[in-house]
Amino acid sequence: MGEPVVEVHQLCKRYGERTVVDHVDLEIAEGEIVGLLGSNGAGKTTTVECISGLRRPDAGSVRVLGLDPQVDGSTLRTLVGSQLQDSALPDRLRVAEAIELFRDPRIQGSRAAVDGLLVAFGLAEHRRRAFSALSGGQRQRLFLVLALLNRPRLVILDELTQGLDPAARRDVWDAIRSLRDGGTTVLLVTHYMDEAEALCDRVAVMHGGRVLDVGTPARLVDRHAPWATVRFDMTAGGVPIDCLRAVEGVSYVRQAGAQVEVRGDRQMIAHLCCALVRGGEVPADLSVVMPDLEEAVIALLAGSDERALEPTGGAR
Amino acid sequence: MSAIVKLVRTELRLVLREPLVLAFVFAFPIITVLVIAGSFGADDAHSFANVDPSQWYVASYLAVVIAAVGLVMVPVHLAGYRERGVLRRFAAAGFPRWSFAAAELIVGVTLTLVASVVLLLVASAAYGLPPIDSPVTTVAGVVLGAVAFTSVGLLLGALMPNARAAQGVGLLAFFPSFLLGGGGPPPDAMSSTLRHVANVLPLTHVTRAIRQPWLGLGSGMGDLAVVGAVLVVSAFGWRRAIRL
Repeated sequence: MGEPVVEVHQLCKRYGERTVVDHVDLEIAEGEIVGLLGSNGAGKTTTVECISGLRRPDAGSVRVLGLDPQVDGSTLRTLVGSQLQDSALPDRLRVAEAIELFRDPRIQGSRAAVDGLLVAFGLAEHRRRAFSALSGGQRQRLFLVLALLNRPRLVILDELTQGLDPAARRDVWDAIRSLRDGGTTVLLVTHYMDEAEALCDRVAVMHGGRVLDVGTPARLVDRHAPWATVRFDMTAGGVPIDCLRAVEGVSYVRQAGAQVEVRGDRQMIAHLCCALVRGGEVPADLSVVMPDLEEAVIALLAGSDERALEPTGGAR
Repeated sequence: MSAIVKLVRTELRLVLREPLVLAFVFAFPIITVLVIAGSFGADDAHSFANVDPSQWYVASYLAVVIAAVGLVMVPVHLAGYRERGVLRRFAAAGFPRWSFAAAELIVGVTLTLVASVVLLLVASAAYGLPPIDSPVTTVAGVVLGAVAFTSVGLLLGALMPNARAAQGVGLLAFFPSFLLGGGGPPPDAMSSTLRHVANVLPLTHVTRAIRQPWLGLGSGMGDLAVVGAVLVVSAFGWRRAIRL
């Protein structure tokens, strides 16, 4: 893992009496794609705004490429590319004018790189089109082009693929992967779990202003959704349901007609298959469904809410 | 190229594409000055400090341009940008927070000067250009008035929650200022109550700071000082109030 590009330590941000970011720690290494997930109001955007230098932290520290965004904003300008949620360009600004406005002419070969970006994102033929005349997908692609214009070392993307059709989302995913391949670090804020699972090396799950857990998508799934579901059709007179319930690791069994659904921990899969074969039942349609990141995050958030509702030791 | 130069160049392009700007800053003052300056004859000069009414209005209407930019164009523009997240985008791209306000100030003053020249060209073709008694003080009045009112516009734009509110408040401030502060009847034709109201309007002082030295009716220095105070107060206000 490379040097840290982003170091957030005990970050706190309050709006009046409301604490929206509560002692957040986050470290992003060079070349990583890190996803920030969580429900609305979890504090993701505020965290990103502090990292971008748009908001001043009330406590804690933020370092980006070793610099303080509040102090070294002008230095970081060309090193960080941002695409922020709920931001726009002036309606009458044309694509080419936006690029000229945000491009740093000091960067060698940037004009050629811009042409390449416009072609890659399907905007080359829209250079003279005003921002207001672009479709939602074209706007998002323009934001991505603007974020990448100056060959930044860190790219911050907040809800980048919101409102894009599936094909456009896949195009943007490919672009983000190629960024990582080029060594760019990416901080991705998203509501789409499939997006985080497909793109992110690590994911931080936020809730109520705090980071609940950080890890690779697979590790988060293992930690917070350690179950599996097995489905198959049972022949008449096959293994009795009570026998399946008794299999080690099974937490519940449900039968609807011939279809049987068994859920339990991961070892349950092997024990269940053994029990079925021993009982003379070898279903041809047996399928195993493993939980995905979405289930893990939902479980993590639900667990967090339950913990929040539990009485404290002193109250007992 | 510095952030400010880039922003100014872009913003100048954009405001000239805005129908509201073209209508309110360029067309409105020209149409109204052509109408009102021709509405009075030389016999009415006694109500105009014994100046030919057309000359009185030509010298007064630069203040209308200044008010249109400061009370309508700038607040609507700034509040709209903040409402739609344009300011956030500029800030996220590394433009210093103050750079947009500074660019708007330059754009507002530039636009005022350009629109004033256009107004004078049209008005002089129709009514002739009154000779300027004190050119330096007159130009100082125009420039300081333009800076002060653009600054007032930035304050309004910073305080208003969205473009619609900025437009409502801006128009509410503009029309009484326009009618009582320079574009409407002369002070001698007003009731004493309206004259008192006019005297507290910042635009009245801008108008006087331009008209008095232009037509040789006075130095206008007292009014210039008031305009300077408006600039200081409003600049202090928007520096504190401006947000993303």
